[in-house]
Amino acid sequence: MKKVSFALNGIVQHWEVADGETLLASLRREGYFGVKFGGCEKGECGACTVLLDGKPVNSCSLLTVQVEGCHVQTIEGMGEHPDQGWKKTAGLHPIQQALVESGAIQCGYCTPAFALAAKALLEKNPNPSEEEVREAIAGILCRCTGYLKPVQAILKAASILRGEVDEQDWIEDTGVPLPVDWPSGADQSPAPAGDFGSPEKLVLTRRKVFMPRMFITPEVRQKTLSRVGKPELKVDAIKLVQGKPAFAADMEKRGMLIAKVLHSPVAHARIKHIDLSKARALPGVAAVLCYKDIPRVVYSTAGQSDPIPGPLDTFSLDSKVRFVGDRVAFVAAETEEIAEQALNLIEVEYEPLPAILDARDAMKPNAPIIHDEPEYVNFGESNPQRNLAAQIHIDIGDVEKGFEEADRIYEAEYVVPKVQQAHIEPHVVVTYWDEDDRLVIRTSTQVPFHVRRILAPVLGLPVKRIRVIKPRIGGGFGGKQEVLIEDVAAHLTIATGRPVLYEYTREEEFIAARSRHPMRIRMKTGVKMDGTITANEMRVLSDTGAYGCHGLTVTGNTGHKSMALYVGDGPYRKSPNIRFYADVVYTNTPPAGAYRGYGVPQGFWPVERHMERISRDLGLDPIAFRLKNAIREGELHPFSTAWSEGREPRPEIIQTVGLEECVRQGKAVIGWDQKFGNPEWHVVAGKPYLRRGIGVALVMQGTAIPYLDMGGASIKMNDDGSFNLLVGATDLGTGSDTVLAQMAAEVLGVPVDDIIVYSSDTDFTPFDKGAYASSTTYISGAAVVKAAEDVAEKIKKRAARMIKEQHPSVQVSPEDILLEDRKAIAPGGEYVTLAQVALNALHHTDQEQIMGIGSYYSPVSPPPFAAQFAEVTVDVETGQITVDRLVMAVDSGVIVNPVTASGQIEGGMTQALGYAVCEEMVYDQYGRAREKDLVDYHIFRANEMPKLETVFVQTYEPSHPFGVKAVAEIPMDGVAPAVGNAVLDACGADVFENPITPERLWRALKEKQSVADHH
Amino acid sequence: MIKEYYRPKTLSEAEQLFKMGDKKYVPLGGGSLLSRSKEDLCVVDLRDLGLNRIEVVGQRADIGATVTLQQLLESEFAHATLKEVIRKSATLNLRNQVTLGGYVVSADGRSPLAIALMAMDAKLIWHPNQETQSIGDWFSLRQPRGFWIHAIQLNLNLVMDYEQVARTPMDQPILAIAAARWPSGRIRVAAGGYGSAPLLVLDGPEDGGVIEAVRNALSASGDEWATAEYRQAVGQVFVRRIMDRISSGLQSK
Repeated sequence: MKKVSFALNGIVQHWEVADGETLLASLRREGYFGVKFGGCEKGECGACTVLLDGKPVNSCSLLTVQVEGCHVQTIEGMGEHPDQGWKKTAGLHPIQQALVESGAIQCGYCTPAFALAAKALLEKNPNPSEEEVREAIAGILCRCTGYLKPVQAILKAASILRGEVDEQDWIEDTGVPLPVDWPSGADQSPAPAGDFGSPEKLVLTRRKVFMPRMFITPEVRQKTLSRVGKPELKVDAIKLVQGKPAFAADMEKRGMLIAKVLHSPVAHARIKHIDLSKARALPGVAAVLCYKDIPRVVYSTAGQSDPIPGPLDTFSLDSKVRFVGDRVAFVAAETEEIAEQALNLIEVEYEPLPAILDARDAMKPNAPIIHDEPEYVNFGESNPQRNLAAQIHIDIGDVEKGFEEADRIYEAEYVVPKVQQAHIEPHVVVTYWDEDDRLVIRTSTQVPFHVRRILAPVLGLPVKRIRVIKPRIGGGFGGKQEVLIEDVAAHLTIATGRPVLYEYTREEEFIAARSRHPMRIRMKTGVKMDGTITANEMRVLSDTGAYGCHGLTVTGNTGHKSMALYVGDGPYRKSPNIRFYADVVYTNTPPAGAYRGYGVPQGFWPVERHMERISRDLGLDPIAFRLKNAIREGELHPFSTAWSEGREPRPEIIQTVGLEECVRQGKAVIGWDQKFGNPEWHVVAGKPYLRRGIGVALVMQGTAIPYLDMGGASIKMNDDGSFNLLVGATDLGTGSDTVLAQMAAEVLGVPVDDIIVYSSDTDFTPFDKGAYASSTTYISGAAVVKAAEDVAEKIKKRAARMIKEQHPSVQVSPEDILLEDRKAIAPGGEYVTLAQVALNALHHTDQEQIMGIGSYYSPVSPPPFAAQFAEVTVDVETGQITVDRLVMAVDSGVIVNPVTASGQIEGGMTQALGYAVCEEMVYDQYGRAREKDLVDYHIFRANEMPKLETVFVQTYEPSHPFGVKAVAEIPMDGVAPAVGNAVLDACGADVFENPITPERLWRALKEKQSVADHH
Repeated sequence: MIKEYYRPKTLSEAEQLFKMGDKKYVPLGGGSLLSRSKEDLCVVDLRDLGLNRIEVVGQRADIGATVTLQQLLESEFAHATLKEVIRKSATLNLRNQVTLGGYVVSADGRSPLAIALMAMDAKLIWHPNQETQSIGDWFSLRQPRGFWIHAIQLNLNLVMDYEQVARTPMDQPILAIAAARWPSGRIRVAAGGYGSAPLLVLDGPEDGGVIEAVRNALSASGDEWATAEYRQAVGQVFVRRIMDRISSGLQSK
């Protein structure tokens, strides 16, 4: 141990620390929870950034003893809430304020790091360029935002710190998209390329936010709303920007143990012998568990509604391992170091079994059987004897007849990779017994209610003795729609009686968490010479890895969404011919699971690459060809009568399709007509080896699962006229708590900050199926509206009575009352305030708790649509691709919050960009992962981003009280094929497998050259 | 795991630790790597030994071992190409922490600055005997010539150029080629983007045969990230481009 003295946020500290302890560990132990753990091993994520003598460094890779005599700053020293009762503070730092106002905070896990890095930059350089800002924050990875809004915020803060208060100046200086015509609506005609509004038309918002471009349809324009549609501040932004202890691991519990898991080093084996004695004997070890120590309960880790639409094929611990990274044993110890040592003392003898590492081998005769356990529970067509986790056969119309009627048939095979969600907060859980002997599971999950239901039998507890608390989530993207690690900590708490913290390292995220299903996809499309699609077929081989979680539903969505977009034209439009066949097979690789987009990005890579190739071969305009065949308003969703996530399908008419407008607006913004087919634009002066290209992809997604997804909400009125909104919905950084509050505020006639949102806790909040399937705004939002309407009705009744008492001559009935500006107002202008109503209800007359509940499930899943555009520059000698620009025009119905919604699009496009060019998970011949960190698995950094632009084409979806459709997942779908198509446009090379790495493109260029030489 | 940490105030104090030999003493630069070591180590923090200075004498820069990558990037002699190579080598957070000595010791074949330093024929000066070791020798054998690296010497009287291919602009290189030319005409070319260390492709009085040299040097470069065929082809493209730029004087010093 060593004594170390240093200044922490200006106050001298004298700490005694172990020589080898990192500054991150010391700070968090001392309660500085604003410093975050990203699980990385090489300092690549930057979530733990602190300022050391004014410079940003990673506290995870700095020894505490190294800061002797130094000045350390954390987010806790930067700024605080301005109003703390009778005590007023200096408030937030201008950088924090700008991050809040600019919508730069999504999950907020990396926000303290951004704030500190910005502070260091602006103290050194008060007037940075955008490039300098990007360089300053490039050491901090963000998986949510796409960096655009953090950059805007820092530039804005710089401007404010320089004393420049003229908003217009800083908007122009930064050169980011201009706000347009809000709230009154934009022109109905497409905008000129790259400019959606002239400065004189700008309506600057009161909060100086950067608004995305908004195209407003007449139906939307007619709606006059005061909270919905406005860029309200995110309700959790103030706490997140201060680095408050809001996340699962940001807590202290006396006697808390640290859990670790021994992972399998082999891809497929039986555990012949396991000896835990040495590990158990190690001082400081509280428990070591293997399969012999806990009940053998088969279950599925997929966080889905009951019954799970997939096989039950998983055990907490088993006598067999099925992939490198599978679980062998659990350890709980006093410290992480002791837990690691204990892992090394566990002796395991494996009996190796032949492994399947290529999905194409899974169903071959005599292939090893991965699931030979007798407890296996089938679902649908699953058949473990054939390594088949799920199978889908869908025929719509007469596909063979459609092919016969085609002038040409186009066939090709496409390949999409396994990729990782890479949320910056790793999976993390804390479990403990409460004073009532109920097990509390505080976990970073998207599905708290599913966690409770699924784990109850696994742990031998009834549901009622489990409480799941979901604090803030540092990103999930589907990865936390899995009951992945909660059982580990829970078993160890049961074994020891003590609190247990289990937090994945980044390596564990890669070897033991879930990922996007890799697939091989064969397309066959019949087309007439005029471009009419007569039949379309997709055959999929989907690799679910060692367990079948989400295998059926993810793969089903691959066809359900992407193959529904192009129904054909003329008679084929009325009766489309579509085939979708899929085999979902087991392999000895880490299991796949849910990842934002949920199978749909896998579908649109082949569909949109295929459409591009067909249109070019037929000499047709690629956009006109697509629109000719695309589904239109009022038409039947072709898959709605064929498949519904393993449940009974029911017909569904699509009521809003803004696709053509998306195309029009997107083309205008990117300047399609000036670039596509223009040879001059495609060359780069002075660099003959560079070629520019432009590409497009049209996409559709879904909004929740019809007849299944249910969300609940309750609202309670407080003495001052404020409201507690309790929702089971799980805001994983998307801003869903904020949009739910906006909807409640709209109905109740109050500002958003009068709505106190709490989500979620299985003891206190109503049920919600959780955050997935792009459902929260639509499903949970409708539940909130119903609850708010329930409350509003009670308020109005009481207010009418109070007004009559105050104004005996006034005749007013409850239905005439308007709730607005925190008042209940009669048609004649007489009013009572909501605070008066609340006091009356709680204390004065006919006392009651004004409270409402609502729950909602939907009979439809209205699809959002989008046109995704990409510009690239290709080095034809090396295969290097630089993506220069991404433009996405999206019809997500009415946008409840333009700033949080555009943040979703920007962040989604950035993740999808990785799918396009750099992200993939590869395994060697032993099933060992190539990627185990965020260095080899490269995700985009702030200083290498293309320009991102978002356009919202607002339709009014009639199935929702505020006309909304989904936003969250659709940005994942189109970027990769748009980039692929842009590459084709640039250099004529066709790459069938994403990501388009330099060598893949180089080989495609060689192939093209070889064909040309042959001819 | 670091078991013991020492922060000597003088060179002799530090030397005493290394001379004791009772435990495994390892010099500590910024700590970005060693702080995570799984091996039991005793580390000797070099920060108070005055090794964080850059001295330019004539056409030579002596860069103290604890100069950080960010200091190097901001130094007067770092020209645009060198700055860009440093940027690609580490993000700002790490550049503020990683020392040049620590970087060289831990560099592998995918470390852009190491590839550039290889082309520039950097010299390592070891303490205590001020023994000089070429960076090529270091990467070949990884044999220390003293207790710690005291400084890294760079010849400034040369032009250096660099090209890399990667999945994204700031990703690790799949292939990188750096070349330096001295006023005498001497050409030195290094390759990287794979393997455990940068590879010397050519060091000769002129650039004759450099295309063949790079093709040969990359003939066994295949790994899980790219095939040798690809690296050979692109390596030749890079060498051609770099040589064209160097010969036309388009490269900054």
